[in-house]
Amino acid sequence: MAKERRYLPLRSTRYLGRTMQRYYLLTRYQRLWGRPLKRPLAWVTSGAPVEILRALRIDPVYPENYGAICGARRVAPELCRAAEAAGYSPDLCSYARAGIGAILRPDLAPMGGLPRPDLLVTCNNICGTVLKWYEALARRFNVPLFILDTPFVTGELKQHTVDYVLEQLRGLVGGLERLTGRRLKPADLQKCISLSNEAVRLWGEIRNLCRHRPSPLNTPDLFVHMAPIVVLRGTAGAVAYYRRLYDEVKERVRAGQAAVAGERYRLLWDNIAIWYQLFRFYHLFSERGACFVTDTYTGGWAAGLAPGDPLESLARTYTAIFLNRSVDFRVRQMVDLIRDYEVDGFVMHSNRSCKPYSLVQEEIRRRVMNETGVPGLLVEADMTDARVYAEEPVRNRVQAFLETLEMTV
Amino acid sequence: MTTASADRDPVMILLEAAASGGAGWPQLYPGSRPFGYFCSYWPEELILSLGREPLRLLPPAAAGVPARLPAYCCLPARACLAAGEAKEYDFLAGAGFAHTCDTIQCLAGIWPHRHTFMFVPPVTMDSPEAGTYFKAELERLWRRLAETAGVQSDAHQLQRAVVLMNRIRSLAGQLDELRPQLPSPLVAALMRAGQLMPRAAYAASLEAALPALAVKADGVGERRRLLISGSILENDGLYVMLEELGARVVADDTCTGYRHFAGLVNERAEPLAGIAARYAARPPCPCRHQYLEARLDYLLALARRRSAEGVVLVVRKYCDPHAWDAAAAGDRLREAGVPVLVLEMETSTPGGQERTRLQAFLECL
Ligand code: SF4
Ligand code: SF4
Repeated sequence: MAKERRYLPLRSTRYLGRTMQRYYLLTRYQRLWGRPLKRPLAWVTSGAPVEILRALRIDPVYPENYGAICGARRVAPELCRAAEAAGYSPDLCSYARAGIGAILRPDLAPMGGLPRPDLLVTCNNICGTVLKWYEALARRFNVPLFILDTPFVTGELKQHTVDYVLEQLRGLVGGLERLTGRRLKPADLQKCISLSNEAVRLWGEIRNLCRHRPSPLNTPDLFVHMAPIVVLRGTAGAVAYYRRLYDEVKERVRAGQAAVAGERYRLLWDNIAIWYQLFRFYHLFSERGACFVTDTYTGGWAAGLAPGDPLESLARTYTAIFLNRSVDFRVRQMVDLIRDYEVDGFVMHSNRSCKPYSLVQEEIRRRVMNETGVPGLLVEADMTDARVYAEEPVRNRVQAFLETLEMTV
Repeated sequence: MTTASADRDPVMILLEAAASGGAGWPQLYPGSRPFGYFCSYWPEELILSLGREPLRLLPPAAAGVPARLPAYCCLPARACLAAGEAKEYDFLAGAGFAHTCDTIQCLAGIWPHRHTFMFVPPVTMDSPEAGTYFKAELERLWRRLAETAGVQSDAHQLQRAVVLMNRIRSLAGQLDELRPQLPSPLVAALMRAGQLMPRAAYAASLEAALPALAVKADGVGERRRLLISGSILENDGLYVMLEELGARVVADDTCTGYRHFAGLVNERAEPLAGIAARYAARPPCPCRHQYLEARLDYLLALARRRSAEGVVLVVRKYCDPHAWDAAAAGDRLREAGVPVLVLEMETSTPGGQERTRLQAFLECL
């Protein structure tokens, strides 16, 4: 009896539903209302400098977010199959496969798929996949492809790297100006950057509130509520949304309310969510009083743009994101999170889809365990392709891990 | 170099190096401590200029299972890491990674050697800012390599290294021209040797071997003419099987084959700028972007130039960049009327399944 109310829902979820519905509705009909207003539609990667696009009144659509939706709605396997039948290997990123599948089979795709783009903007700060994926999209749609090449940062970010990205950003601005027939107004760019920063700041503060004991949020909450920080970055809508969410989470902290009733263990999550298992999988933990108080993934959207020349700031920020950083950086990041959030254990999702995130995890796991003494578990799955998820072995591993925690904490 | 003596058959010298797979270096070339590197975007000239020999690290045949990479990672990376973890590369002076794919990025991050270097060439090669960045990145790499080696970087030595590597590339180009008339496994091995033995010795042996090879060249005959494209092929297994099945590799776009040697550095340019420019103009690997259709245009033109009847796109299991391009190149080549087989292989030694697929493909040509 006591078990069933272990999980506390957020009131903001309803507002989130409305916010996202509105975004996708506007997106879906963008071809109708956008064209007369000369607003092109761009497909962009999650790490693209969208502030420039928004300032030029280009409407962004995020295939990666759409991939997550396909995962959560459990249609990704079918969409992936459609892409595989067209020659795409089943070992490629399942966001990309699901996205391509949705183009090939709109009848199977949520919302009938994404509207056709006028342009594509890809930034390789997250992986090499997005270069190949967007090349494939450019061939399919025959529209301009803009590539922002943000070299991998091996140690500290070097000035020649910043200069290179900055030059490309200038080129991108020029290209987009020609495409839209508009000039980028510095004030418009500044406004988008400020809105980005404000939403990012709020998102960071919401995450910080989880340092409290008990934590007001469990990481699955962050997974659900991160959608606006991705798709509405640089808009007033995102700021309004996160103000509301912040207030609610703050209220929880004041009232001492726990996301997971009877919080016993505080955990750290590494990698993208297992979208099709968002409740079942994380329930394995919450039913034992284990709450994920922080994670590395949603933190990727908590880095603000530095003050100063806006383009240089964009160049630095977008190049320095954590997936574009060394193993040392990522170890340090996890060690800091474990300390700051008083974490008892960590779980790494070894995500077959996302090689740059996952291939180094075993090394990171060992180093973090050595440095902190905190145990870490690695579970293999995929973020959207449920076909590779082996429920029984995962459940057994999670149970064994929680039993270890029981003995050590 | 002990084994490159003038009285030995130069072809044998080269085949011995190819068969050693690199692991045999300490026995074959005692007294020299090579510097290991992973990808053909790694600038061998910089290593040579510092008095070291570059040695391409290829996955050893009998590698174990590495502790720190999951099973869904390509075998070249897993096998090399397993060998590294087993201390089989302790004879190296260091290891260099050119940032190419996500896997190489990760492998570099966990490589078990103190002197590990990663340099990051631009992905989009077609802009002036990419050239500027590339040169700065090379400069930085050269400086760091020199510091670690405890020697001065010397422009004169670099120029000499450029000249040597250009000579090798020209010789490899001549070999590639002879390719249709020579047994495919032989050409593959001779090309691989150029990545696994001291460079001056390679140049000397290949130069000495070419006239005899030209005499041996016997034409394609009834064999099916194929183009092979792919990433790393660490042995000749596939080439052997193709010959057995009555085919001939008349054109090669593998990363361990001709693509490694393609293009020359402009010797009149400033060396680092020249090296960068060569990479920018070289037939691209799937990890690089010249313009959208650059690689597909290249493959199609190569297939036509060498009158290939079919194309085999070899994709190592879990190799994302090549898997992506296999889909695009497959469509493009088929549209142009060139039959294509996408052959996924875990190791580079083909088995029964690959034989059946290749046989069926060849029968359709
Ligand atoms: S490979 Fe990883 S970072 Fe890249 S698109 Fe897929 S999930 Fe995202
Ligand atoms: S085989 Fe493919 S994935 Fe593996 S290292 Fe080479 S390019 Fe990268």
